[in-house]
Amino acid sequence: MFAGLRGRLSGRIERWARKRQGTDTLPMTLLGRRLYILPTRAGIAFGMLAFVMLVAGLNYSNSLALFLTFMVAGFMLVGMHECQRTLQGLELAQAQADDCHAGDDGLVQLRFVNAAPLPRRALAARTPGQGDSSFDVERLGDASVQVKYHGARRGRHRLERIELSTTAPFGLFRCWTWLYLPVEVLIYPRIAGTRALPAPGAGRHARQSSAAAPGEDEWAGLRSYQSGDSPRSIAWKAWARGAPLMVAQYAGSGGSDYLLSFRGLESLDLESRLSQLAAWISECGRLDAACGLALPGAEVPLGRGSMHRATLLRALARYGEAT
Amino acid sequence: MTWLQGGRGAAVLPAAALSLTALVNAHHLAWWCLPLLALAMGWHLRAVLRGSPQPGRLARIGFALFVTAGVALSFHTLNGLSAGATLLGAMTAAKLFEARSRRDWYVISGATVFLLLAACLDRQQLWRLPLYALSLWLIAASLRGLGRGTAIPAPILLRESARQLLYAVPLAIVCFLFFPRLPGAFWAIAGDDEAITGLSDEMSPGRIARLAESEEPALRARFNGALPPVRQRYWRGPVLHDFDGYTWRRHRGGMNGGGRSGPGSAPAPTPAPTPALDYAGPAYRYSETLEPNTHGTVVALELTAPPPDASISQSADYQLISRRPILQVRSYDLVAYPLATDREALSDEAREVDLALPRDRNPRSRALAEKLRAESVNEAVFVERVFAFLRDGGFEYTLTPQRLGRDATDELLFGTRQGFCGHYASAFVDLMRAGGVPARVVTGYQGGEWNPFGRYLVVRQKDAHAWAEVWLPGRGWIRTDPTAVIAPDRLSRESLQFGDSDGSSLLRSRPWLASTLRAWDALNAWWQDDVVNFNFARQLNLAERLGFGDRDWQTLATALGAGLCAWLAWIAWSVRRLAQSARPDALARAWRRVERRAATMGLARAPHEGVLAWCERVAQLRPAQAQTLQALARRYAELRYGPPAAPAELQRFLRAARAFRFVPA
Repeated sequence: MFAGLRGRLSGRIERWARKRQGTDTLPMTLLGRRLYILPTRAGIAFGMLAFVMLVAGLNYSNSLALFLTFMVAGFMLVGMHECQRTLQGLELAQAQADDCHAGDDGLVQLRFVNAAPLPRRALAARTPGQGDSSFDVERLGDASVQVKYHGARRGRHRLERIELSTTAPFGLFRCWTWLYLPVEVLIYPRIAGTRALPAPGAGRHARQSSAAAPGEDEWAGLRSYQSGDSPRSIAWKAWARGAPLMVAQYAGSGGSDYLLSFRGLESLDLESRLSQLAAWISECGRLDAACGLALPGAEVPLGRGSMHRATLLRALARYGEAT
Repeated sequence: MTWLQGGRGAAVLPAAALSLTALVNAHHLAWWCLPLLALAMGWHLRAVLRGSPQPGRLARIGFALFVTAGVALSFHTLNGLSAGATLLGAMTAAKLFEARSRRDWYVISGATVFLLLAACLDRQQLWRLPLYALSLWLIAASLRGLGRGTAIPAPILLRESARQLLYAVPLAIVCFLFFPRLPGAFWAIAGDDEAITGLSDEMSPGRIARLAESEEPALRARFNGALPPVRQRYWRGPVLHDFDGYTWRRHRGGMNGGGRSGPGSAPAPTPAPTPALDYAGPAYRYSETLEPNTHGTVVALELTAPPPDASISQSADYQLISRRPILQVRSYDLVAYPLATDREALSDEAREVDLALPRDRNPRSRALAEKLRAESVNEAVFVERVFAFLRDGGFEYTLTPQRLGRDATDELLFGTRQGFCGHYASAFVDLMRAGGVPARVVTGYQGGEWNPFGRYLVVRQKDAHAWAEVWLPGRGWIRTDPTAVIAPDRLSRESLQFGDSDGSSLLRSRPWLASTLRAWDALNAWWQDDVVNFNFARQLNLAERLGFGDRDWQTLATALGAGLCAWLAWIAWSVRRLAQSARPDALARAWRRVERRAATMGLARAPHEGVLAWCERVAQLRPAQAQTLQALARRYAELRYGPPAAPAELQRFLRAARAFRFVPA
């Protein structure tokens, strides 16, 4: 029951903060009005301790005990201000998110700049449901931190809320802020699907010798290296002899050409089809086969290499987007 | 894997804080507590270094029960400060045996704070203050070290926590001065097992083997005008009439208005007839601040007239009796007439009370008194002869007398011949009564120490004194102080000064030492009187003197609120100030101005562009100014990144940069 209540409450608080703060723009400097602070569990315990000390001091009318109590209280209050100061004035200079597959965790890279002559310690950043990434920013320095985020649904999304917090200087208070960054993440379809790759060579680029098994292709010569070529296809022996980087080409590699489409997947729903395509693309990567995409509204010519495959996955991620 | 093994040298600090705090408690912990803590710390260190296993749950519970039993055995109670501190220390040791995580160390640090509190509650001497401060500093530093994030070296932790504590000092002072103290206690203070000098309802000199001298103040008197002569500084407290041969008590009947028993309870509001005193002679006006006492008598200079205050009445034996128990510090404005006399005749009832003696006690004393009385022509001569007996009898004044048995007066006068004021007052009154002269014991204080800083006379518990009063026909009640003939210097001293006591020759030969000690004593007196004994009454005085309003709670609350707001504003400003961006130096500011001017012409430097690259670009767009701008940029780069240049160079650049303007293309 309390968990439910707590969830509802935190949801309400989050909506309130979102409305209050609006969307952030980069670079941004953290200002006081968006910093929130509460005592930690240890802080509450120490607060109660100070109260008990106060009662004891008053009861015994003991001046020294009362002075000690007030010193402890003042010390904690100064610490509270120091805790907020740790975040105040910190600048978030850049934020960049890597893409990821739905169901996987992606990384957001944040770069913080500290223009103050004061080290900022015990900082932690996280997205909801993920663990903290801890970091420090030295005085007049900068620091980068990678924060995990969870790719929930395929598509182009705004990055979730990032919670930047600190418990400096002594863990009795926790100051935090919520960042709603103007950063988009592209979530590829989940890699899922049990169907085998369709027969290669289907479509425009079909070759005749479909009977040839992969690995038995005929040697067709060398061409010069282009970025994106698989290291496995590089003619290392030629390179070792002093030749420039060359890539071995095989003729009639019919099994290495896959133009992927929804053909044969009509029985599945859209997301499952896209997941199957993503699985095939990753399979192509494993086989180092050329692949392309022939979807309604998303056509990508054949190609090889990880960058090409990323293009395909991006197209899948954005498939069906209302443009 | 323990948290300590993460290479955190800062973990030394909590252990150091705990050790020091345990040491400042050493005087009242059970003897086994410190060794136990040392053992636990050694165990912890070994566990950290060698990874030895943590004790099991059963062992821990067993240990806790064991030390609890140990405390109960050592103190016969689990209640009370010393027992509580020992229990806390032992439990902290138990925690050390199993301490692994950061959380455990938070618990240990909290316990350390509590141990420090126990030390403060128990001992408040000035010389301990640096130790307490050091202990608090170590605790603060160890708390900082417990924070998450990368490890911070101990010297930095110590420096930062010192600054943090200094920030807290003003708040502590404001709260100390204005946070309303409570008039009474929520719960009774657990029994103090040390016997100290002071006044109570009764007096049994024979029972006491050692009288500890307490520096606690009993009262302070601020005189308007001259001080009374030293020999007249008798502060009258409870008057004792009833004697059972061993113990003197207040009179149980209603006559004296003091017929009451049990410490702390209010005296019975007996309608005592106010004695008709003849207030003649010099008058001394003074305001008195009286510390709480258990006997309910307003101790005042002899003989103080009853104040107009309705809550105070004067009893037949001239005590000022407060109707309410004196549980907190009270202030009174009083007038004393040391030479006042009572010309009324003694009533038969009062004569009977002050002649009563137990029949079968002290036969030798009785015989002596009867003999001396028979040899005297009247009462006054009898008093003189008893004085002569005491003066010439080889009696000794000591604070560590031998205990006396059932016939206390006989044993004192014919046996031990040593005692303090209570012994001699008791024996003297016994002799007087045996000789047929009405007499009574008066307890109170004698003397007082002039505080040159506060300009008041402070009377301490160690000044407690007992003397006698005899009733002589035609003269009324006369103060007679037998201690004065046995130890005259006990009374004539203003206070025991340095140079008067044992180490006098050493001090005489080194005057600087004596003056240093006197200064230290004055500082201690200030500490004791104005800091340790600061209380609600003086809070009110202070608030009134600062002009916050009347003497009440609201005034204190106003002062406290004002102080708190001022402190919070100051802290918010001074702590956060550091978080602001460092101000760029003159060189950077000058160059930025150049770039800002360029920006207004649409020539802003892109974030990715270096200064020189930007100049290249601008030079192509503004060929006319290319040379000047590039020279300026080169100069800037040299000053910024090159070897240190003369200040004149910098000034020249600043002037040039200030003068530089872009001309529109």
